[in-house]
Amino acid sequence: MKKLLALLAASMLTAPLFAQDIYSCRNVSLSFFSEAPMENIDAKTDKGVSAINLKTGNVYFKVPVNTFQFKKKLMQEHFNENYLETDKFPSAEFKGKLLNAPDFSKPGTYEVNVEGTLSLHGVDKTYREKGTLTVGDKQITLHSGFNVKLADHQIKIPTLVIKNIAEIVAVKIQAAYEPK
Amino acid sequence: MTILRIAFLCLLSQWCMAQDDLSKMFDKDTPKEHTPVIATYKSTRIIQGHSTEMLKKRELDFRVAHRFGDLGGEFGGSKTFFGMDNSTDIRIAFEYGITDNLMIGVSRAKGSGDLSQLYEGMAKFRLLQQTTDDHVPVSLVVFGNAVVSGMTSSKTVSDPSHFEQFTDRMSYTGQVVVSRKFGERLSLSLLPTYVHRNRVGYMDQNSILAIGGGGRFKFSKRMGLLVEYFYPFRNQESKDYYKTLGKQFYNPLAVGLEIETGGHVFHINFTNSTAILENQFIPETTSSWLQGQFRWGFNISRRFSL
Repeated sequence: MKKLLALLAASMLTAPLFAQDIYSCRNVSLSFFSEAPMENIDAKTDKGVSAINLKTGNVYFKVPVNTFQFKKKLMQEHFNENYLETDKFPSAEFKGKLLNAPDFSKPGTYEVNVEGTLSLHGVDKTYREKGTLTVGDKQITLHSGFNVKLADHQIKIPTLVIKNIAEIVAVKIQAAYEPK
Repeated sequence: MTILRIAFLCLLSQWCMAQDDLSKMFDKDTPKEHTPVIATYKSTRIIQGHSTEMLKKRELDFRVAHRFGDLGGEFGGSKTFFGMDNSTDIRIAFEYGITDNLMIGVSRAKGSGDLSQLYEGMAKFRLLQQTTDDHVPVSLVVFGNAVVSGMTSSKTVSDPSHFEQFTDRMSYTGQVVVSRKFGERLSLSLLPTYVHRNRVGYMDQNSILAIGGGGRFKFSKRMGLLVEYFYPFRNQESKDYYKTLGKQFYNPLAVGLEIETGGHVFHINFTNSTAILENQFIPETTSSWLQGQFRWGFNISRRFSL
């Protein structure tokens, strides 16, 4: 019994360390840009959330899609109503894993590869993308950019406005993680 | 033993964390925001009457509305190419969003009814916007306009278009629009309306109350079917008197198709009313669907972000 208690006590002590494995960020900024003959489209949000498990290399992102802010509000309405159908699919989610997790105990900048599933507009697709992780003192920052092909997620552009919207959208992500 | 239990729980919670379902850790802080319901209609109008949609801040809406002549009946048919050769009313407008909840506009309408050559100034203000969580169950806007006729005064003193003074040329509309979007496809509205015309013909009413009802059924992402109906509360004496003159009032009924193409919204509609502005089509509709006296028309809205 004493042994068991001691064991439990010991594991409790390790608890803070355990928690340190998970770093999270509650104001991930995301932006996307598409260049089209008629007009460029760009939108931003900083309402994304994300977490990284340093031990397992698991990565998670979630963004409420209707928080993207456009310069043209009518565009924003169409984005939500017609293209992303945010009533039906309120958030985009990414669950992935770092393929080459760096040594998080050493500060520095690392190129990482991540693979996982992006669920957007109700359609899952596997992505393998690059990112840059900067490990600092008590903070890890992430920069990443990748392309999303609208057709891959069944985001349909009617032929009538095809000139206004690019078929591939460049997404940028920036997050500053802190211990959970 | 209690210690043990606590310790065990601690252990368990760690273990859960180590389980690595990172998605769970944000479950509790999903913001409980009252998200506004958007796109109850695609345009600031249902068909003739206002919807609860507003222009966004610094947006300019250029609108053209056109009503042709009677499709059938005495003045329609093939000789006018089903009304196409005539226009009963045309309105050209510039409307502007001062804030997301306040818009103003000026327009010129040909006018159809007692007065023509109309200039309109209008404002619309949104007081409530429906939210997805039903914290606010409906959207509510108030709309008001003032219209002045630029036509030459009639020499016949009994004519409604005989103007003794400038104010005789004026008329006003005050309207409340309440809408609710039921799911993705169906939107319904109620439009209690008050119209005041400073000068009217003998036995006509200066002030008239009406109740409007309208709705949209969206059958595809960019297309919807629209219906709109107004019931003016005109008193019986007035109705009877005009009947003796062979003039009968009808309730404006319009059906339309809403098509969105990005920055444009097209409405193709059919209505028995000849006029476009509330000040006229509510109290002065004297043509009937049943006699083929309906016309097709369109509203075009092009929005610019300034």
